[in-house]
Amino acid sequence: MLEWLRGVFTDPAVLSAIKVTFEMAFASTLISAVLGVIIGLWLQNHEFAGKRVVVRVNRTLMGVPPVVIGLLVYMLTMRGGPLGPLALLFTVKGMILAQVLIITPIISGMVFSYAESAVPAIRAFAKTMGADKRQTDRLILSELRNEIYFCIITGFGRAISEVGSVMLVGGNIKGHTRTMTTMISLLKSQGIYSEGIGLGLLLLVMAFILQTLSDSVRKEQIRDENY
Amino acid sequence: MRITELRKKIGKTDLYIKDLKIESGLIHGLVGPNGCGKTTLLKLIMGITGPDSGHIDYEGLKPSDITMMSQRPYLMHANVYDNIVYPLKIRGMKIDQSEIDCLMERTGLLQIKDQYAGSLSSGERQKLSFLRAVVFRPKMILMDETMSNLDQDSEELFKEIIRERHDEDGSTWLIVSHQWDAMNELFDKVHHMDKGRIV
Repeated sequence: MLEWLRGVFTDPAVLSAIKVTFEMAFASTLISAVLGVIIGLWLQNHEFAGKRVVVRVNRTLMGVPPVVIGLLVYMLTMRGGPLGPLALLFTVKGMILAQVLIITPIISGMVFSYAESAVPAIRAFAKTMGADKRQTDRLILSELRNEIYFCIITGFGRAISEVGSVMLVGGNIKGHTRTMTTMISLLKSQGIYSEGIGLGLLLLVMAFILQTLSDSVRKEQIRDENY
Repeated sequence: MRITELRKKIGKTDLYIKDLKIESGLIHGLVGPNGCGKTTLLKLIMGITGPDSGHIDYEGLKPSDITMMSQRPYLMHANVYDNIVYPLKIRGMKIDQSEIDCLMERTGLLQIKDQYAGSLSSGERQKLSFLRAVVFRPKMILMDETMSNLDQDSEELFKEIIRERHDEDGSTWLIVSHQWDAMNELFDKVHHMDKGRIV
């Protein structure tokens, strides 16, 4: 067993897939976290015509099939597409773009939902304390830190497990854009199961770690509900 | 502070204050049945909600000079002590540790100052909220049923501290209460409300 695991995780192709996966997942989650938190909190704090439609569109995008986003990014980044000159197709950057489009609505939608229920009370409290706008904004971020953390973990979990869009945009090029999930998919189609299982196990371990982190955040939230 | 022609409709509450003067330096009581608009009036004064029409003349008071304690206080995700000193920190005011310790000791919060605020009982939350409001010595304090979860001794202690602060700072208090008999001795002036009107 150990020999087999050692064999799997010393394979340069596997190591490259792990590296690309984490590079893509971290970068896309970081960008999406910044965008998602800003959009979610901005939406909560502003009233404008069509806000309900915007919220509904955001919620729709939270559940959009990744392969659809993959196709959209593929068409945008292909040679004749509007982003063609940027040469993003079949690159990690292109995959990050697709992931950002998938994850940002998830994070912004979740942050908006949490903010809708918590922020009015925080703002009212800040007002009674005499906090200015900057202090109020800082307080909101601080008070929602557990929720925001949970949203980001969810986004990262989505990024690390994605197949459809990265396959389309990245092209699953060995040593370049191949991720753990697209490699598993390829290995399965080639009938090579051992490396696929090894990568699958690693993804499961990652999912377990993410779940553990999420649970610790949830425990904190349950405690806060005792207010 | 003078409130004139103030109107606000929220749900069933139809608040209309034709003319109300809240003289500074007094402890005012605001009494009336449930749903008559007392909390709405405090929120309007605090600026948490805006009026449909009408005017509040603060007569020189800045928003940061006023604070409000609600029946269900918001407690920050922090320990008791950090919650209490929060208004001092955001104002850049010096923390007088001996004064804070003394207040916490009197209210029984000193022993639990490192405890997570979310785990406090309802009475302890009200004590925390009370200290957090008085610690920075605001010029006007609005209290919305903040003594409802207190035992007799704590209620007496609150009244004692209110009287002390009022005498020391000349602060203005507007206290919403249902406990008319118990609170009457504290009030310099009482305003009765019914169906959204001062009667």
